[in-house]
Amino acid sequence: MKNALAIAKKELNIYFTTPIAYVMFTLFVVIGSYFFLRLLGAYEQASLMYMRFNNPEMMSRLNFQDAIFRALFGNMGVILIFVVPFLTMRLVAEEKKQKTIELLYSTPVTPGQIVWGKYLAAIAILVCTLAFTLLYPALVQVVAKDPNGVEWRSIFLGYVGLFLLGAAYMALGLFVSSLTESQVVAALITFVVLLMTWIIGWTAAETEGATREVVTYLSSVSHLDSFSKGTVDLKDLVYFLSICAIGLFATHRAVEAHRWS
Amino acid sequence: MIEVSHLSKTYRDLKAVDDVSFQVQSGEILGFLGPNGAGKTTTMRILTGVLPPTSGTVKVAGFDVFEQPLEVKKRIGYLPENPPVYTDMTVRAYLRFVASIKGVPAKAREGEVDRVAQKTNCTQFIQRVIGNLSKGQKQRVGLAQALLGDPEVLILDEPTVGLDPAQIIEVRQLIKSLAGKHTIVLSTHILPEVTAICQKALIIAQGKVVAYDTLDNLQRAHAGAATADGHAGPTPSLEEIFLKLTSA
Repeated sequence: MKNALAIAKKELNIYFTTPIAYVMFTLFVVIGSYFFLRLLGAYEQASLMYMRFNNPEMMSRLNFQDAIFRALFGNMGVILIFVVPFLTMRLVAEEKKQKTIELLYSTPVTPGQIVWGKYLAAIAILVCTLAFTLLYPALVQVVAKDPNGVEWRSIFLGYVGLFLLGAAYMALGLFVSSLTESQVVAALITFVVLLMTWIIGWTAAETEGATREVVTYLSSVSHLDSFSKGTVDLKDLVYFLSICAIGLFATHRAVEAHRWS
Repeated sequence: MIEVSHLSKTYRDLKAVDDVSFQVQSGEILGFLGPNGAGKTTTMRILTGVLPPTSGTVKVAGFDVFEQPLEVKKRIGYLPENPPVYTDMTVRAYLRFVASIKGVPAKAREGEVDRVAQKTNCTQFIQRVIGNLSKGQKQRVGLAQALLGDPEVLILDEPTVGLDPAQIIEVRQLIKSLAGKHTIVLSTHILPEVTAICQKALIIAQGKVVAYDTLDNLQRAHAGAATADGHAGPTPSLEEIFLKLTSA
C-alpha cells in the first residue's frame, strides 16, 4: 500500500506539473457550464410560462432536480467520455516509451502496486474534476434562496453515480494505456471504447425483448440516471464496479505480461 | 554475492544470452564487456529481475531472482542503459520518489536524497526539471537513483556514457570508492575503464562467454610468444585481447 501511494503521489506530481490536468479541468468545466446555463435558461422559460398561464399544478411539479440536474448529470457523464482518454493515456504508455518502467520493475514494487498507484492517481484527478462542478448546485441554492430549492441528497447520489461512471472509464483507459507505448494510440482507442459504451444505448430503441435488456444494460450513461433520480439500484452498482474490477485486473495482467515480451 | 549459472534468454528465434555462468564475490567489481548486441543489457536486466530468463538461475545475496524477486530487488541498485528518469519531475522530487519505493523510511528520505546527490554531483541542479538537463546530468541523476538506499549490489549499464572527460574520471573514482562495501557489475564499451576500475573482466560475444578472468590472468594468457632468450612475450592491452576474442 505504501508503494502504491508513493506511485500515486508521483503520478499526481506529473499531472500537475504538466498542463494536461489543468487543460482537462478547464475543458470539463467550460462544457459543463455551457450545459448548465442552457438547462437553467430552459427552467427559467418553463417557470415563466407556467406563471403566465397561471398553472399552479405544473408549477408545483417543476423542481431543480428533474429540470436541471438530472439532465446535467447525464451531460457530464458524456463529457467524461471526451475527458477521460486524455487523463489516462499517459499512465502506462509513457512509462513503457521512456523505459522508466524498468525502474519500477527493478525496485521492490509489485505489478499490483503499480496498477493501484496509477489508478488511485486517476481517481484523485476524477474527484478534482467533479468537485469543480459542485459550483452549479451551490449557485442554484444561493440564487434560489429557497430552503427546499436543491435536493442535496439527490445531488449527492448523482455525484456518486458520476464518480462510479468516471472510475469505470478510468479503469478502461488505464487498461488501454497499458497495451501500447503510444499516448496518442491509447487516447484514441480509449475514446472509441468509451464512445461505444455510450452509443450502444441508442440502438435500444430499435430492438425489443431480451436484446433490448442487454443493450440497455451495456450502455454506460444509462446507469447514471437512477442515481440522479435520487435512488441507488444494485444493478448499476454491479455494472460500474465490475467494469472497474475487469479493467484493473486486465491492466495488472498486461503490466505483468509486458516483462515477458 | 552474485551467482549466475547456465543463464539463457531467447527472444523468439534469437539467442540473446547463451549458457552464461559467472560469479561475483562480495566487494568485487566485475567489468562486463562485449560488442554491441552481445547480450550485456539482457544479462543485466535478468540480474535485476526486470526480465525473466528462459532458463538458468541467478542468485543475488543467496536469493533466487525468479523465486524471491522482492528480496533481490531490495538489495540491488540498477542503472539501465537509458537513465530511467521522469522528464517532467524535478531531480529532488524524482529522487524522493525512488527513495520511497525502495523502502527508505520517510524520516531518512531527505538525508538520503542529499547524500546521493552530493556523491554524484547533482546538488547544483537538484531543483531543476529533469527534462531540461543535459545528457550527462541525466546520467548522473540515473546513477544517484541507483545509489539510493545504499544497496549491496550495483548493476551499472554503461554508467559513463554521455559524460564529459572530467565527469568520467569523477564517476570512475566514485565507483572505485564504492568497491569493498558494494558488489558492482559494470558494463562498458570503454576498455581503459575496465583497466582503471575492475579486478575481473567478463567478455561476452553473441551471447556466449568468451573470457572470464582477472585482468592479470587475461594478459598472461594472451601474451605473445616467449622470445628466444626466455623472456616473456609482450603483454597485450585489454583492447587487443578484446578484439582477438570477439572477432572470432
